[in-house]
Amino acid sequence: MATTVPEHFQGHADHHGHADHDHKPSFFARWFMSTNHKDIGTMYLIFAIFAGIIGGAFSGMMRIELAEPGIQYLDIFARWFGATNPDFNSTLHVWNVLITAHGLIMVFFMVMPAMIGGFGNWFVPLMIGAPDMAFPRMNNISFWLTVAGFISLLCSAFVPGGTGLGAGTGWTVYAPLSTTGSPGPAVDFGIFALHLAGAGSIMGAINFITTIFNMRAPGMTMHKMPLFVWSVLVTAFLLLLSLPVLAAAITMLLTDRNFGTTFFDPSGGGDPVLYQHLFWFFGHPEVYIMILPGFGIISQIVSTFSKKPVFGYLGMAYAMVAIGVVGFIVWAHHMYATGMSVNTKMYFTAATMVIAVPTGIKIFSWIATMWGGSVEFKSPMVWAIGFIFLFTVGGVTGVVLANGGVDDVLHDTYYVVAHFHYVLSLGAVTALFAGFYYWFPKMSGRMHSEFLAHVHFWIFFIGVNMIFFPMHFLGLQGMPRRYPDYAEAYQHWNHVATIGYMVMATSLVVWLINMLYAFTAGRKAEDSYWGEGATTLEWTLTSPPPFHQFETLPVIEEAAHH
Amino acid sequence: MILGKTVRTLGEAARALGLYSVAAMAFSSTLAVSSAIAAPAASAVVPAPVASYTPLKPTPGIGMPVEGGIGLQQQFSKLGEYGEWIHDGVLMPIITVITLFVLLLIVIIAVRYNRRANPVASKTSHNTILEVVWTLVPVLVLIGIAVPSIDLIAKQYKPAPKGALTIKVTGNQWFWTYGYPDNGDFEVVSNMLNLPGQPIINNGVREVGSKPWDGPSHLEVDNRMVVPVGEPIRLQITAADVIHSFAVPSLWFKLDAVPGRINEKVLLVEKPGVYYGQCSELCGAKHGYMPIAVEALPRAQYDAWVLTHAGGVIDGQAKPAAAAAAAAPAMSPGAVATAEATEASASEATAAAE
Amino acid sequence: MAGAAAPSTDGKTRSNRRVAFIALSMALGMLGLGYASVPLYRIFCQVTGYNGTTRRADEAQAAAVQVTDKTVSIRFDANVERGMPWQFKPLQRTDTVTIGERDMALFWAKNDSDKVITGTASFNVEPEQAARYFNKIQCFCFTEQTLQPGEAVKMPVIYYVDPAFLNDPDNKDVEQITLSYTFHVTSTSDAKTLDHSQTGG
Repeated sequence: MATTVPEHFQGHADHHGHADHDHKPSFFARWFMSTNHKDIGTMYLIFAIFAGIIGGAFSGMMRIELAEPGIQYLDIFARWFGATNPDFNSTLHVWNVLITAHGLIMVFFMVMPAMIGGFGNWFVPLMIGAPDMAFPRMNNISFWLTVAGFISLLCSAFVPGGTGLGAGTGWTVYAPLSTTGSPGPAVDFGIFALHLAGAGSIMGAINFITTIFNMRAPGMTMHKMPLFVWSVLVTAFLLLLSLPVLAAAITMLLTDRNFGTTFFDPSGGGDPVLYQHLFWFFGHPEVYIMILPGFGIISQIVSTFSKKPVFGYLGMAYAMVAIGVVGFIVWAHHMYATGMSVNTKMYFTAATMVIAVPTGIKIFSWIATMWGGSVEFKSPMVWAIGFIFLFTVGGVTGVVLANGGVDDVLHDTYYVVAHFHYVLSLGAVTALFAGFYYWFPKMSGRMHSEFLAHVHFWIFFIGVNMIFFPMHFLGLQGMPRRYPDYAEAYQHWNHVATIGYMVMATSLVVWLINMLYAFTAGRKAEDSYWGEGATTLEWTLTSPPPFHQFETLPVIEEAAHH
Repeated sequence: MILGKTVRTLGEAARALGLYSVAAMAFSSTLAVSSAIAAPAASAVVPAPVASYTPLKPTPGIGMPVEGGIGLQQQFSKLGEYGEWIHDGVLMPIITVITLFVLLLIVIIAVRYNRRANPVASKTSHNTILEVVWTLVPVLVLIGIAVPSIDLIAKQYKPAPKGALTIKVTGNQWFWTYGYPDNGDFEVVSNMLNLPGQPIINNGVREVGSKPWDGPSHLEVDNRMVVPVGEPIRLQITAADVIHSFAVPSLWFKLDAVPGRINEKVLLVEKPGVYYGQCSELCGAKHGYMPIAVEALPRAQYDAWVLTHAGGVIDGQAKPAAAAAAAAPAMSPGAVATAEATEASASEATAAAE
Repeated sequence: MAGAAAPSTDGKTRSNRRVAFIALSMALGMLGLGYASVPLYRIFCQVTGYNGTTRRADEAQAAAVQVTDKTVSIRFDANVERGMPWQFKPLQRTDTVTIGERDMALFWAKNDSDKVITGTASFNVEPEQAARYFNKIQCFCFTEQTLQPGEAVKMPVIYYVDPAFLNDPDNKDVEQITLSYTFHVTSTSDAKTLDHSQTGG
């Protein structure tokens, strides 16, 4: 048992008149050549919001098309993307471009930049008492590579990709649909986008690993690090070990497409299923990459607003490590229908179910943290509790899908769509909003409206559940995913989901109004505006923190109590 | 556009003819003991015998999704019933209880441990027993789930028994073809029926609702995959271009069609009827428009259906009526005898080649 | 860097570089593993019969195999990649073979186009667990096949089923083994462009 309570340490903050020697560079140098972790974090967050609006708009286009059976709007969208007089195939191709772009944008250009690039960059150095990231200039390169990747992805929508403009392969880019099935440069642009974003993320991962291992303030041992730092550390390792495999896989796709190799082409002795193995060897850790930092954020928030240290700190930290490790040996549960052997399927069923154990530890530990606490239902806490519930729903459907035999009826249906949106759209995004309300005043120096933040939560909560809960029903009834059109029997729940989308979109308007309010009329934020429960090092600094913090390194003392 | 479609239709027709020719060639080669390769006999293309098959009219709500439905489709195979029990009887209760339990705890916290009710927070951050319990209990629950789950997988992989009928399924952009190698090797091309008021999706096939037996929109096809009911069928699935997936929810069946290889699994339909499914792996523009319709018929009716196809053979014997209509020598020899004889002639052929 | 006035800047920088170097090596190692997975996967399939990969045996190995008195049914399946203007059929649908004894199956292919086309056959065995006992001594799939315009050929496969098949509990219920081939236009062949124009619609 740990004898110290890691959430409780004191930092020697440097409150001494930083304003006068806080040299900020000129606008261009500050925002385009930035080496400051907070500025880069801010840029990541703004970029993620921008990308999220585009990705969210794409999902809106999909939901409006799915409101009723038949094809109603796709030809209009085809014209938006520059098609003149699209035929039926290129109209349908727009649908595949939408699902592909929505997936790639939300994964690589929204959730990852916001979680790791945004909050990670902002708060990992602050929480461990470091003046900045270990490699500030590489940090800058990471960000701009991500932006370049995003631009490459957007470019792909306007060039031919087979039956129409844009890459219509799904975010998984399965061969041979992505090789012989999609002539034209669109898929190449898409692959290039992943290369750029992947390179940026690997650099970011190296940066975080070095920072967390080497730049901790005196006394900040590994077992005293806040759980958010632990979560980013585990995430960085997952990125480091999984992204290169994706890079290898998509590079082979690229050479299969353009240079006549046959890595995944049976005509030359290749196997398209090998691509799936490689993709999901990356893809499964990737879903933990998206959710683990969220776990960290939720741990900080739950502890802060319960005014209690996190229950079972070591269990929480090592549960994340366990999730990371097990995440590498379960990938083929995404491939149950490919015709794998019986023993393989049994193994992956068993291994996948194991993940439920560390995940359960996390859920119960959060609840135990709140249990006996003096819980204050401020906006971040409400979002965090929403996360715990929604993630539970997404988690238990994951246990259903883990069963290879049951997956035979649910694989590639809307049940899967519902499951991964409960853990990612409702899980990761809820965690992002929780973190956003938690830290926004710290980052901006202005308080948001608590009332609007609560309104945002409730409308969002109702909206996303309306979108995604009925998708379980559609999936159980057999509706396949990635369909622009469907049998009449699926209309009812699709209609409900589309209304849910509108509700959810309304909540985002409330959020933007809240931001507008904060920047125009928001109260100035105190240093530790959430009160006594907030114990990590960032709360010892001003809001916003000085341009350069911890010029004298803080010293972490042993916790006095326990 | 129209020209392109016509060309493709012609191409497909030509291909279909070619296939029958090869089948005929394969059988007739039993007689020709020679290393010279005979050109496929064009005379093998014969008019179809008088049809004694009328497509079944599907029962609404059976083998297809139900409007507003919230559960699994009703199952019509042994595996499906078992799987349905695992889902509805084991998994659903467990996950519902877990979710409600978490919700209950959250509600208790909101009521008992809010700031007003409990102004001073406890400082408890460890409880070894509790931590062991919430690690071990999920492990036990998961083991409880794993037992039937692994059993279901084992049952799904049980190989086909001796003499099982083999049907070959091929996924194409964007239609399915069904081959019947044990019934004279004819092939059925299956396209989705067009929807009234929608763009023409296929090569001029009839629209949904134009015949009394037409099934639900987006799911009904022009030529169904007809199978005998109550028999294990060895389904061999492949694709000709990109990956597709052959899926029928009410038969608990889903298996990818991967180009360059076959996948095999046993299908057993318990009750006559029409069961609909859809392609379940993204395969390009018209991925949403290549449904699957499996029509299960009693053996006698299945045989009659087989004989409506040019080259249709039952148990290696063309039925007298069909044989008369076909009048092709290729149709008469028994399949097994054919195979043996072919091999004999073939080995001589290679001996000569070597 | 960035105004971080750490007292031991040099030591810190060196230590940072070391950690970063180790991390980078791990990433590069995974990248290498990604590429290495292609040959590794092939070897794995060949050794274990995973994915229905058959074994390849030479004459000497085949001669050493003990012939049993048990038989198993073999089914032959032939496919052509879409757009490839070949016909390709097994000359026998099924065959009953003695386990351990070598046997031959014949396939027939014809080039229907007016171009010279080179094809390569991919193959697999179902049920998958039987693949590791399925040994090919001679097969048209070992090499590329070139057919002149209108040419037709018979192509042999000489194979045997390893008697160890009988002792494998995984294969207890296997009544019939299917050997499947799919012909593809060899990538170098000029017909590849021709076939794309046909698959578009």
